[in-house]
Amino acid sequence: MNEQLPLQTDHASVSRRRFLTVAGAGVAGSSLLTMLEARQAPAQIKGTTLRILQWSHFIPAYDAWYDKFAREWGDKNGVKVRVDHIPHLEIPARMAAEFAAGSGHDIIYNGSSILTRLYYKNLVDLSDVADAAGKKYGGWIPSARPLVEVEGRWFGLPLFYILLPMLYRKDLFDQNNLKAPDTWELARVAARTLKPKGHPSGIQLSQCADANLNWRSLFFSFGGQEADASGENVLIDSKELRETLRFAKALYDEGMTAEVFSWDDASDNRYLASGVGCWVHDAISAYRTTEDTNPEVFKNTVIALEPQGQGGKRVSVAAPNVWMVWKFSKNQQAAKEFLTHLIDNDIEGMVQSRGYNMPYLNSRYKKPMPIIGTDPKMQILQDFPKIVAFYGYPGPATTPIQEVVNTFVFPDIFTKVARGTNIEDAVKWGVGEYRRIYAKHKRA
Amino acid sequence: MTASSHSGGPDAAGARAAAVSVVSRARPRGWFKSQSSRRLAFGYLLLAPAVLYVLLLVGAPFLFSLWLAVSDANVGEQVASFVGIENFRAALESEVFFIALRNSIVFTVVAAIFKGLLGTTLAFLLLQSFKGKKLIRGLVVIPFTLPITISVLSWKWMYDSQFSVINWFLSRIGLIGSYGSPEWPVWLGEPYLALAACIAVNVWRSFPFSAIVLLAGFTSVPNEILDAARVDGTSFFQRFRHVVVPMIAPILLIGFLFDTVFTLSDLSVVYLLTQGGPANATKILPVLAYQIGIQAGALGRGAAISLFLFPLLLPLMILLLRNLKRREY
Amino acid sequence: MAAPRTARQKEIRRHLWIYGALTPYVIIAVFPIYWMLITAFKQDRDLYRMDVFPLWFHLPPTWKNFTYLFYSTNYVDWVINTMTIAAWVAGITLLTAVPAGYALARLRIPGAENLGIAIFMTYLVPAIILFIPLSRVVAMLGLQDEWWSLVVVYPTFTIPFCTWLMMGFFKTVPMEMEEAARVDGCGYLGALLRIVLPVSVPGILTSVIFAFTLSMQDFLYGLAYVSIGDQKPVTVGVPTELIRGDVFFWGSLMAAALMVGLPVAILYNFFLDRFIQGITGGVGK
Repeated sequence: MNEQLPLQTDHASVSRRRFLTVAGAGVAGSSLLTMLEARQAPAQIKGTTLRILQWSHFIPAYDAWYDKFAREWGDKNGVKVRVDHIPHLEIPARMAAEFAAGSGHDIIYNGSSILTRLYYKNLVDLSDVADAAGKKYGGWIPSARPLVEVEGRWFGLPLFYILLPMLYRKDLFDQNNLKAPDTWELARVAARTLKPKGHPSGIQLSQCADANLNWRSLFFSFGGQEADASGENVLIDSKELRETLRFAKALYDEGMTAEVFSWDDASDNRYLASGVGCWVHDAISAYRTTEDTNPEVFKNTVIALEPQGQGGKRVSVAAPNVWMVWKFSKNQQAAKEFLTHLIDNDIEGMVQSRGYNMPYLNSRYKKPMPIIGTDPKMQILQDFPKIVAFYGYPGPATTPIQEVVNTFVFPDIFTKVARGTNIEDAVKWGVGEYRRIYAKHKRA
Repeated sequence: MTASSHSGGPDAAGARAAAVSVVSRARPRGWFKSQSSRRLAFGYLLLAPAVLYVLLLVGAPFLFSLWLAVSDANVGEQVASFVGIENFRAALESEVFFIALRNSIVFTVVAAIFKGLLGTTLAFLLLQSFKGKKLIRGLVVIPFTLPITISVLSWKWMYDSQFSVINWFLSRIGLIGSYGSPEWPVWLGEPYLALAACIAVNVWRSFPFSAIVLLAGFTSVPNEILDAARVDGTSFFQRFRHVVVPMIAPILLIGFLFDTVFTLSDLSVVYLLTQGGPANATKILPVLAYQIGIQAGALGRGAAISLFLFPLLLPLMILLLRNLKRREY
Repeated sequence: MAAPRTARQKEIRRHLWIYGALTPYVIIAVFPIYWMLITAFKQDRDLYRMDVFPLWFHLPPTWKNFTYLFYSTNYVDWVINTMTIAAWVAGITLLTAVPAGYALARLRIPGAENLGIAIFMTYLVPAIILFIPLSRVVAMLGLQDEWWSLVVVYPTFTIPFCTWLMMGFFKTVPMEMEEAARVDGCGYLGALLRIVLPVSVPGILTSVIFAFTLSMQDFLYGLAYVSIGDQKPVTVGVPTELIRGDVFFWGSLMAAALMVGLPVAILYNFFLDRFIQGITGGVGK
């Protein structure tokens, strides 16, 4: 594994790629490390093109920065870089099309819906890039690896995740002598008090990404688990689920209105910005939207830590964002170089996204973190990494979990209960769906 | 027998027609080979582009999708294995599938009824002569001409749970309660309302098309026939049912078929409005197939779901189209 | 005199009845357009307010949404792409559907009826299945991520209907005309070109408009095959670049909708008479 490979003498990029694939990832890894340490772009990638596909960030300025960032790297290394943006919801369709076509972009992104395990046979092993970054920056947070790991290797590079903290209206709370919503019970009391005064709260009870994230945060904070550490066994049929559902029903009846059944990912942003919502559980895009459209309300909006569930636990489910490289890419080397450069600068990305992008690497969490460390209202976000989890917690994001997420089974259980279905019946339905989906994937 | 169609000279149209029909009935062999084969060759040549296009770009992928439906294909796998009707069985086991099937059928039927009603009444109105008819006709057609994704997004904003302008109006005129009260309809949040909302968008888009097609049909009925019927003392509706409808049936049928197939397979309206929610109230087959086949990657099952109605629609379509051809003569 | 006044009164009353009956239709059809218009010019702060009359402005109207559209997105490219794609698709559809319709209608091909039905049946194959194998075709042609890929793919759903349309239309052209032409030594091709086609202009225009409109209704293919910002058609560009993450840029969304929707509607209106004539031609008279 430590042999020095005769890279400098191997000129043709084609035969080099063949060499890499034949020799195996480990060998390629050490050669790449050598190059990285040398800190110079190998001549082989000059004159090539690199195509990247990723989402349209909700902050247009971030995309503008990103595109420039990519271009500058390209100019420095003689690579022509092009970045394309489409909404994260449409990426799966695009991936299917590119895979079927056997061509497309070199680097592709997944947000929320991580499909690494579906496509891993056709993705480039990025363990070397990941290990290098881990070594340089204090290691990865525990939830990073299970996102992209298959058979012990990293087939994707997690770059950042998106938090959904508690956002609440301090002025309304103070006016009504309400304590800050440090526990879910306090949040419920607040909603109950403020709803008759025209300020209910709201969490989506619909088929959207935020619903998948928010209700899981509640469930996990109440001590629930979705699947075990191996990812094979579904654990939702538990006392905790029933308690969470009881709580959720009460929360909905007392503190929310029927609008939440029609909400999409943006509705809670608007709710807060309109001045109506007393609290929402949402990404800081809501915070930024309010800042831009309703300064009055923004003045009084506070970000808080994930509330404690019964039993004092706090778990905040975040939306992961992962970068991958197609095996059919004709420029895997440049792709890896670029990804390394990207992860080296993940903090810059955080700044450019006004604090939205949270890094996965431990050394980045040294306080004060950029943007969120310096803005007093946002400092609490620095405490989230310890309590962050992803779909399938505490297990990894397996393919059956992806299907469960994409068909919105989990929020549907809550929707049914809120609409009046008996808790036992709703749980039976939900568990049944999970079992069916898991069974299908086992058969395949 | 010489083919009179080869002779020049001024024949009366009727004589020529008769000659033509004679020619087509009795064909001397030598002549047949050259005339017919030239005609057929020309015909095949003309047909070739369309047939090739459809065969290559629809036929072949269709066969591929049939294969997908009976395989365990997955978006990330190049090679899949045959699993028979496993995917169909899995679909039938799932409650969501039946909900989607039911929703699809309800959607199509209800939408068809409304499109028919609105389209017919509008067509009647547009039949009258009045000033400004062209302008009105132009305005009324706009929903059909707007690109679908754009118009659906506008409706999404109009249905918003907080800022809905529809609700604003209805509450101002007292038909519904004010914001925050239980009488404030959350269009995309209540199951039946959400389905109605999606149907409404589909109807809004398509009823101008129905109206125009009907209008075209009405105006095509020769006046002599209508006058004759009037003279016979039939009422307007009797005339409509017994004279007009049979005559314009072919075009009505084609328009209806086209619109039905489009509604059954349309993804955009529900996808952009509700994604199939709340709690599957608006989940229709194409949306379910997309979520399972593409977003979750289980291509085989997605194909099975979206092809489910095919065995039903195919014979229906053949039946209707065959019927149509007979009517044309 | 009482008689003329009554006649005029009757005429006016009749007009009032008709306008009255038509009003709901016009409102339903046109209101969303008006809504788009207002929203396009509103400032964001004016938009997210519930206490005010939503159909007019409270903060002064702004061009901001339009300038964002023109300067910060590839909107102009999108519109040009859409129009170009539509034109090409209409052209391809004409070149394939018109001859095919004629062949099926007039040239007594054996099995013409079944062939016609088979062509129409392609509509039953759903796009969400087709788009995957078609992406392989697109890649083989080297057209991935170019709007040309859509020019190749869209005719798959315009050709069948237009073939039927033309088929029906050609059937109404009197056979005698064609026979006369052939008698005069035109041959089949000549008869088609010189006699049948000129008479069929309404039908052809109908097919053109139809193909044009249909090619602006697609979302899935455009999304799957074109990801480059300036190559997208407007139906893909608007939902993908004006909805970012969980934020909808409503003002610009509506501005985009208006600017592409209205010209098309006007164009359509222009040809509406021909369209009606064309469909009419498709009826066996």
